[in-house]
Amino acid sequence: MRTVILPSGGTPFISFRLMFETGSADDPPGREGLAALTAGLLAEGGTRALTYEQLLDALYPMAAGIGVQVDREATVVYGTVHRDHLDAYYDLLRQVVLEPRFDAKDFLRIRDDQRNAIVAGLRAADDEALGKEALASMLYPGQPYGRPAEGTVAGIDAIGGADPASFHRERYARDRMIVGLAGAVPDPFVRRVLDDLAALPESGAPRGTGPRPDAGDGLTALVVTKPARACAISLGHDLPVTRAADDFYPLFVAGSYFGEHRTFNGVLMTKMRSDRGLNYGDYAYVESFVQDGSSTFPLPNVPRRRQAFTIWIRPVAPENAHFAIRLAVREMRRLVRDGLPAQAFEETKEFLASYSRLWVQTPSRRLGYAMDGAFYGRLGLVEELAARLPGMTRDEVNAAVRRHLDPERLRIAIVAGPEHAGAIAEALASDAPSPIVYATDTRPDVIEEDCEVAVEPLALDRARCRIVPADAMFER
Amino acid sequence: MPSAPPRATFPYPIVEATLDNGLAVVAVPLDTPGLAAHYVAVRTGSRNEVEPGLSGFAHFFEHMMFRGTPRFTPERYNDVLKRLGADGNAFTTDDWTCYHVTAAASALATVMDLEADRFMNLRYGVEAFQKEAGAVLGEYNKNASIPINALVEKLHDVAYTTHTYKHTTMGFLRDIENMPRQYDHSLAFFERWYRADNAALVVAGDVVPDEVFALARRYFGPWRPGVAPFTTPREPEQAGERRAHIPWASPTLPLLALAYHAPAFDPDDADGRALDVVAQAYFAPTSPLYRQLVLERQWVEGIGAGAEDHRDPGLFLVIARVKEAERVDDVRAAIEGALAGAATVPLPADRLLAVSSRIRYGFLSGLQTPDQVASAVCHFIQLTGATASIDRSFATLDAIGAADVVRAADRAFAAGNRTVVTLLPA
Repeated sequence: MRTVILPSGGTPFISFRLMFETGSADDPPGREGLAALTAGLLAEGGTRALTYEQLLDALYPMAAGIGVQVDREATVVYGTVHRDHLDAYYDLLRQVVLEPRFDAKDFLRIRDDQRNAIVAGLRAADDEALGKEALASMLYPGQPYGRPAEGTVAGIDAIGGADPASFHRERYARDRMIVGLAGAVPDPFVRRVLDDLAALPESGAPRGTGPRPDAGDGLTALVVTKPARACAISLGHDLPVTRAADDFYPLFVAGSYFGEHRTFNGVLMTKMRSDRGLNYGDYAYVESFVQDGSSTFPLPNVPRRRQAFTIWIRPVAPENAHFAIRLAVREMRRLVRDGLPAQAFEETKEFLASYSRLWVQTPSRRLGYAMDGAFYGRLGLVEELAARLPGMTRDEVNAAVRRHLDPERLRIAIVAGPEHAGAIAEALASDAPSPIVYATDTRPDVIEEDCEVAVEPLALDRARCRIVPADAMFER
Repeated sequence: MPSAPPRATFPYPIVEATLDNGLAVVAVPLDTPGLAAHYVAVRTGSRNEVEPGLSGFAHFFEHMMFRGTPRFTPERYNDVLKRLGADGNAFTTDDWTCYHVTAAASALATVMDLEADRFMNLRYGVEAFQKEAGAVLGEYNKNASIPINALVEKLHDVAYTTHTYKHTTMGFLRDIENMPRQYDHSLAFFERWYRADNAALVVAGDVVPDEVFALARRYFGPWRPGVAPFTTPREPEQAGERRAHIPWASPTLPLLALAYHAPAFDPDDADGRALDVVAQAYFAPTSPLYRQLVLERQWVEGIGAGAEDHRDPGLFLVIARVKEAERVDDVRAAIEGALAGAATVPLPADRLLAVSSRIRYGFLSGLQTPDQVASAVCHFIQLTGATASIDRSFATLDAIGAADVVRAADRAFAAGNRTVVTLLPA
């Protein structure tokens, strides 16, 4: 059991994060979704002493919740409470982690919710999330990294009432755990928490070997069809580099330069939105990125043993989908070929040195980042960047880009209306010109560049371009 | 009624000044080492869009505010923020538009220089305007696959006949598609609404109030006042239930929404705060209705309710995600039953106390960062023009008794004041 304690007197709030190194990667074959369902029953299933209703009653006046977050490799039980309620809150949190109730009625409710999250949520009501998960399914076909943490429809249906308790017993173990506490926590309180957690088993069931990426060369496309006004697009390829590796940090700088999340800094945003008005936003990532609520910053505690380089193109008009993909591929080819320009490199470093401080504004987020550092055997990302950025050279960044980013290995996922899917697939496979027509005035230099973008070769074999209806995705 | 001053809920000092041009400036010093949030609230939103064919314009205009001035082109504006490592963005609601930047407190003068400049000297050409219209259509497109957005859009369209709350902040699709042709209107929009006396500046974080005021005078002092007088069209009282249905092309859980016209936000109005209590007491996960529908019978995946904090009379909304279409009517009857109960049976004292505690600690737990604090202060300023409304509204909440809840519910939840919208797979 590792611990990360960040005492701070400047806030009346105390934050807890109990992270277990287990997640959907540990779902047993045939019962995909079990890790998420187990965690769901912790958050919304009561304790041995308290029904879920009683737990809700106890938490309600504190306006504090006990949340869970499940990804491929990590499950986190977390919460923040005002110091006025610390003891009462902790007593509930302790019971939730050590003595979950696993009630049959709660099981049915949460299993239903989890199934609906795929059937009526991901596959039906959020094209951008569907595009991202469709991309993951291409990077790691048939593996836990290639499907949402919620699992598959068949997997969820196959989970039995006794399975979550077994999963909890086998996977929520001290050797898999990082305990995090932040805020006004006196030493005796910390000791009490650690003593209590000693009730968990010392070691958990062995973990699998981790994901094996699809090794095929050449561009590959998947068009997922459902009713859609516009096309959500995600591109990417597997990346064996994580925060544990030195190469990650120069790649991180390159990712920021190419497409910093929800800013106007990136190359992609400038070319696609600002110059052309193609869509709402265009970003790039060198690791899994889940936005924290409506903020601009990522959720902490989504660590992975393997990462992916991804490009997120927010929905574009169907007639511009081919053009948008060409533009993104072309810019990525340019990035790998030419590297970062000298001035942009310095600006990106300067940006990240200050911007990264904004990621850790609350005790809970500071804690999450520090714990992710513990997962990777490094300092927190903010501290690693602070230490590495000043001495990082442009050559290091460009070399890391050339070593690890490969536009010719991109997988492309497109969510499109069924009436457009065939034409998009044919256009991609034929490399037919895709001129863009603007209803509005456009700068001459942009129009000139468009002529080249419109014929940028993708060399995508038709046999490597599949069309799949959304309701067949993540079915089994 | 007690005559003691209201118990302070807001946990930080608020220091205020008004510039000669009418701009309200608020500084909130916080223990957030080295960081500050700079928020400008313009008290104009989609509520102000009275001209036919121009719905969604306040939000579109928010985008245009990033399209540059003679001093700071869009690229230069972004370069300055990038060099500071700042987090900057904007959003628009029914009532107001917010421009925010969070950065190192030591960069406050730079941020204020940059921000003030665009409120006074915004300038863009037709091409930039038209490209941005493409981005706004892209924003509509990205939202279009989400059924709840369609539900809320329809709900407002049906519940209102006259008031501008009839359209959402995004605007009607036909108006968004027509935006590229409205360049001249965008210039008039800026002239009309972007005036110092229609705005507030809130700076929260590691700052000294006197320094904030000095910088505000220097950079925002030249901003012209003179916002045009404006009254929204008055919504006539609803006389009879309205219903609408949306057939949805993709698989979805059935959605059910009920809306009732409710009072405009007023920190001293017991009826308004009593409806906040209703939302919690009758719809939170600890409520009998939630237990029945979500936990016991499991007819509903999730349910929520709340009264919109709006400058003009908004809606009290209840939205449920129902698991099976056959249960929609039963769920609707259960919701109406709970609201009828709220209008007849007084809440037990301990329940009232728990609700009050929940609302108070919920508010406090959302005040941990400079952003959260500045945003919360802006919310109250745009509603009322005064920061004192924060503590006053919580004092009103503290004084709510069971009889107040019954009275407010009785006024709001008449069948004739109700709009019901359903969304089901086609």
